[in-house]
Amino acid sequence: MKKNTLLLLCLLLCGVKAYSFCGFYAARSDVKLFNKTSQVILVRNGERTTVTMSSDFQGNVRDFAMVIPVPTILQEQDIRVTERRIFDQLDAYSAPRLAEYFDEPLCQGRMRAYPESTAKRSASVMESDNALSEEKADYKVAVLARYTVGEYDIEILNAQESSGLERWLNDHGYKIPDGAEEVLEPYIRSNMKFFVVKVNLEHFKAGSTEFLRPLQIRFSSPKFMLPIRLGMANGEGSQDMIVYSFTKNGRIETTNYRSLRMPTDRQVPVFTKENFGAFYTALYKKNLQKEGADNVFLEYAWDISGQSAVKCDPCPSQPPLFQEILSAGVDWLQSNSWGQYSGSLFFTRLHVTYNRIDFPQDLVFQETPDRSNFQCRYVIRHPAPYTENCSEWNDYQSKKIAERKQELRELQALTGWDVAQHRDYPYYFNGYRVKTPRDERTGSVTQKSEAPEKTAAIQVAPAIRDSDTSTLVAVQQQAFIPSEKSESAPEPFPYSTIAMLTVTGLFLYHRFRS
Amino acid sequence: MLKKMIRAGSRLNTLYCSDARHYQISFLSIFLLAGLFRLHWPLSYAQIFITLSATLSTQYIALRLLRLPMDGLKSALITSLSLCLLFRSDHLAVVALAGILSIASKYLLRQGGKHFFNPANFGICACILLTGKAWISPGQWGSEGLWLMVVGVLGMLVVTRAKRSDLALSFLLGFGGCMFIRMYCWQEWPADALLHVFSNGALLLFTFFMITDPVSTPQHPIARKLWALAAGCLAFYLQAYQWVNGAPLWALFMLSFITPIVDYFISAGNYRWTTRTNTLTENTKNIQIA
Repeated sequence: MKKNTLLLLCLLLCGVKAYSFCGFYAARSDVKLFNKTSQVILVRNGERTTVTMSSDFQGNVRDFAMVIPVPTILQEQDIRVTERRIFDQLDAYSAPRLAEYFDEPLCQGRMRAYPESTAKRSASVMESDNALSEEKADYKVAVLARYTVGEYDIEILNAQESSGLERWLNDHGYKIPDGAEEVLEPYIRSNMKFFVVKVNLEHFKAGSTEFLRPLQIRFSSPKFMLPIRLGMANGEGSQDMIVYSFTKNGRIETTNYRSLRMPTDRQVPVFTKENFGAFYTALYKKNLQKEGADNVFLEYAWDISGQSAVKCDPCPSQPPLFQEILSAGVDWLQSNSWGQYSGSLFFTRLHVTYNRIDFPQDLVFQETPDRSNFQCRYVIRHPAPYTENCSEWNDYQSKKIAERKQELRELQALTGWDVAQHRDYPYYFNGYRVKTPRDERTGSVTQKSEAPEKTAAIQVAPAIRDSDTSTLVAVQQQAFIPSEKSESAPEPFPYSTIAMLTVTGLFLYHRFRS
Repeated sequence: MLKKMIRAGSRLNTLYCSDARHYQISFLSIFLLAGLFRLHWPLSYAQIFITLSATLSTQYIALRLLRLPMDGLKSALITSLSLCLLFRSDHLAVVALAGILSIASKYLLRQGGKHFFNPANFGICACILLTGKAWISPGQWGSEGLWLMVVGVLGMLVVTRAKRSDLALSFLLGFGGCMFIRMYCWQEWPADALLHVFSNGALLLFTFFMITDPVSTPQHPIARKLWALAAGCLAFYLQAYQWVNGAPLWALFMLSFITPIVDYFISAGNYRWTTRTNTLTENTKNIQIA
């Protein structure tokens, strides 16, 4: 029972200056590593949790190592290696998206929307190999089991004190960041087992995969959490993490941090399409500044049960396939013919940017019965082509100009970008140029009733250029730059001080009055 | 003119101060507005409306049937505000059910002339257990130190007026003491992790606005303190060892079952809310407002 009350904690060891997900990195030798965003898939069914961890490790695999504390001694069948493509697929499916619409041509026609979808498949591979031995020294560290799974060599350790564990790791060639000892101690006191993961070079070469594949572990525990604190032992700046989750009942949320929805369904200027990655990154950072750094953001939540007809709307990519869901660790669905499945399934995507100051506790989750769908969706709306002798055109034109001005204001509010350079944007219509206030002043366009002047395709300079120009643009999550806390934020209005003074005043008033 | 206004203002002030529930209603409303407009809770106006109308109408019907003064509507308003602050569900029918169950528990689950469940607490827990389509979001408040201050001070103001600060402090002693010993002294978590646990808005709201309900808690001063201490320890056990979300609420729900037993053995009379009807109450200590 006691074992059950303990939860898996994952602690990743690799590069000194690197970013990581739920663990800290420490290099086996001083190699500079950089890991911008880590991704985790959580599958929760009752008290059974499956965690799949992926980090974009860049460097010599010889230097890769990680330590994952677990509540129980994991059996070999509880550890698997999966394909990276699951993460890519889930990222593409759930990333914030830009939906593109076209105004209907006036006096005819109808509106079109072009969702684009591509199918991707992935498969899972599991290999295993077995070895068991015990090692006891004055480290007070015991090796309980040894496995080889895929390209990884895994050792399961039982430590009695953090200094012993730290010495053991250091003596076995891992470079542990300073301050790791005090971070390790609470987990050792919770009677955790740790497992150390290294790359088995022979298996890695034989497998000839370019990247290290994600590692997946399963365990049973009432705890539903991710230990991010360990990842902050080297305590430098903020780190981004994307958490995908598959659950039976509904959306997951954090219980010790605020889970907030990202701003969604906003209409933004057409040129946003050309730099959507930069747009969303700026929006995310602005939102983080506005709402506070100690929040977790909901980016996607969707009911993808077998019977759910609409698994995304619009779809930037194919919804997760049965095979992918299976390899992520979901074991309660039934397979149908045609690769379909039946059973209840809910998908959540959370984005968290954590640092030592704002996240003093590990992330604790709960599965709620909330099955409402949510997506981070931004809309661009192309103007209708100009129609000659159309009585509705003038009304449409003035409405459109107002709409486009609003789009610019929205863009500025969302991202904090300076939109002054786009001041002509409201007057450029899809190949047509409408009379601007400047034209009126200079008199270059004579009469308002005239047909708008035709020009070549208008080039509107985006603030930041991005190569992604597909019809439905999904942000690559690698585009996130860890936000720095020290960034110059505008001085907020002292609501808290005023509230505090008022309350204290009220309190004192009533005390003295009586 | 000015004199008249001052006199009216002073009369209003006397009226406002005559009942601790007025403070509770004001502060809970402030929290609800803060939640809606500052913390951006995904709480729909329909849900607020349904909660208010379900609780108030149930209370109104009960008061009419039992021929009681309409003063009781204030309690129903507090219950509905607590539900809006703590209770979450996607289904409006479940929201209405929570409101109705809350108030119904006041009139159906009675012993010794008083109800022994906190209405909002009963509504929330019963709805989660019965329907499985509702939940509590303890994380929705964030953990700003501001909440620690505002809720703490406002809460203390209310509980000192209602003479129930001992409940809040005993609960905090039980919960906080156990948490401190486990997290800080034994597991050696840093101090800010511990502070993060205590600056949770939901915990503070519970401590100062829910467990301090003077009607549904044991009346005897010593029994009351021990009862709150036990609630704190139980909440700690549920949170630290069983990983129950919203542990304080469940602890209160469980301990409410023993409240009538405590009251049966150690009786100290029932609580009255207002200062005006003090002749009707047996326990004059409880109604005197400093």
